[in-house]
Amino acid sequence: MTALASVLPADHFLIMTVYALLISLFFALLWRSGKRERVALFVKLFLALVVGALAVAWLMYPFPK
Amino acid sequence: MSDKASPLPPPPPPFTAPAPAPRRPGNPFLAAALAWLFPGLGHAYVKRPKTALLYAVIVTATFLLGLSFEGRLYSPEPGQPLTILATFAVYGAGLLNIAVRFLSTNPNGSILSVTYEYGCAFLLTAGLMNLLLMLDAYDIAVGRKR
Repeated sequence: MTALASVLPADHFLIMTVYALLISLFFALLWRSGKRERVALFVKLFLALVVGALAVAWLMYPFPK
Repeated sequence: MSDKASPLPPPPPPFTAPAPAPRRPGNPFLAAALAWLFPGLGHAYVKRPKTALLYAVIVTATFLLGLSFEGRLYSPEPGQPLTILATFAVYGAGLLNIAVRFLSTNPNGSILSVTYEYGCAFLLTAGLMNLLLMLDAYDIAVGRKR
């Protein structure tokens, strides 16, 4: 089962982006029915997850562990 | 006694035949059970083959990525009440979860792995997504969602 992990490097940003991609696809399919509405929701969710995570990371940056 | 005649009652509404009940595409409980067994199976049962395939790909990919990141398939632990919720979430993945528990040599993942937390998040998400698919398949079968 580690075969997939070898394809996808352990890069935090990349894994987060893949996660955001899967979540956005899923909810766009689940919550909308038309093609255009689905694409619009997918883009919104994907950007919100990725940009939101970057914003939170940026806000946390000045604070040490 | 007043001389004024009482006002006439409003005329009854014209008769309209009741709208026919929406046709159910299938048994809702069977749809939910099939959706639990394997992602997308419930949607295939209620005659949505394209979305069923997409759901199957998305949820299975999320689950397999979680495994490949060495995430943990939770089981309840004494003194750790949150593991009950995590177990519920992971069992939402249906046969995927059960099969991997039997086949995998390491269903508890590897806590020392860099990607362990990601793996847990992916596995929990896959289970929760499949639980939502169960509800969705049920709603479609009942006729609540088109």
